[in-house]
Amino acid sequence: MPKSTFIICEKSYIVRKGLISIIEKIPNTQIVQQFDSEDEMKNLSNIESDFIVINPNLLNKETINILQNAGSPAGSEGNSQFISLSEKSEITDINWVEFININDSQNTILTKLKTLIGNKETNESKSKSQDEISKREVDILKNIALGLSNKEIADKLFISTHTVVTHRKNITRKLGIKTVPGLTIYAILNKIININDTE
Amino acid sequence: MLITKNIKMADVIHMNYFTLSVLNRFGIELGFGDKTVVEVCKKANIDVDFFLEIANAFVDKDYFPKKQLQSFSVKLITDYLRKTHYEYHQIKVPEIENLIEDMVKSGYTDKENLVLLKKFFNDYKQELLNHTQREETVVFPYAISIEDAYNSKTLENSVFDLMETYSISIFQNEHENIDEKLFDLKNIIIKYLPKQKKSENCHKLLYELFSLEQDMIDHSRIEDKVFVPKIRDMEKVITKRFAEKKQ
Repeated sequence: MPKSTFIICEKSYIVRKGLISIIEKIPNTQIVQQFDSEDEMKNLSNIESDFIVINPNLLNKETINILQNAGSPAGSEGNSQFISLSEKSEITDINWVEFININDSQNTILTKLKTLIGNKETNESKSKSQDEISKREVDILKNIALGLSNKEIADKLFISTHTVVTHRKNITRKLGIKTVPGLTIYAILNKIININDTE
Repeated sequence: MLITKNIKMADVIHMNYFTLSVLNRFGIELGFGDKTVVEVCKKANIDVDFFLEIANAFVDKDYFPKKQLQSFSVKLITDYLRKTHYEYHQIKVPEIENLIEDMVKSGYTDKENLVLLKKFFNDYKQELLNHTQREETVVFPYAISIEDAYNSKTLENSVFDLMETYSISIFQNEHENIDEKLFDLKNIIIKYLPKQKKSENCHKLLYELFSLEQDMIDHSRIEDKVFVPKIRDMEKVITKRFAEKKQ
């Protein structure tokens, strides 16, 4: 399962730190970036994340525009989701999925965040099975294990090298194995190739 | 939490027991009672600023080196790094090899599979050896030459030539993830290795793999946060001196 990633935009150091310590209690989450001013947020457009938690105080014409174009990580669907760091927000240009109040208890905040992460994951697993490698990926894996380069695999299977690279990334993500020798062992253990083929 | 001069050395270990391996590399023995970090270092003849820098970079992934503390010599850093390499090759890797060997003996899984694991780890061992050897034969001598040039009153052209052929940013770029194979090995054992018998050795092996991987991540952080910035700063000063000389 890919990590759920967060960007936090909030002026107060104490609030940021507190929120981070709560988010880090949820397994498989990662804070990719923090911003403490409207100015800083100009750099936000280069960073991808699943969720952006933001204090509406930091919103102005410019930052709203940046947020609306914020992307979520490759492989997951749709754009980043927005969580407001105040109970209500008059700003309707942003499509809020949740509101966190400063007086919320830790459990309330945890429940709110976990629900959002849960929703995201069910949506994704509907669109594609997450951890099982597909038949096409097995083909690719087989050729990697046999020692072929990306280019050779592309030529052999009549696809572009770019596609091979994408498949490889997905295989690594699903199996949790990064190196070619590691993938080779996986292929042998699962009888995708025969041990003698590698000699 | 930041480790400082005046906290007790015992508390450093309580705070994060991974610091034990740092203590080991500094040759600090246990049994220091309530002595503070600075007292223990003094007694063991260790530069306390250097110890603090290494220990903090080791335990805190967000640690930023303090410029005023970086007064110690490059030799001190490379000696420490060499000791770490030595420990990997002489203690940690053989320990893991023994555990894999034990798994073979106890028939944890098909023999064929274990042969695969052994070969995989062997390749990794070679990769690690190449990696540390390159640091010791190329990078460390380069760093020491840079320090000599930095401290020298004269400006030798040979240093200029040296810096044309190598620089610490090359090291930084080629400093690839040596821990990827360890990561794979862990996952293969945890997720994919079919087993026939229960084995405690397998858990021990995993524990050692996790611990080696963690140590290596912390170790590279010392290289990236203490070693590299120090050399880069000296390179900058030397380049500036050459530029002034030309004018």
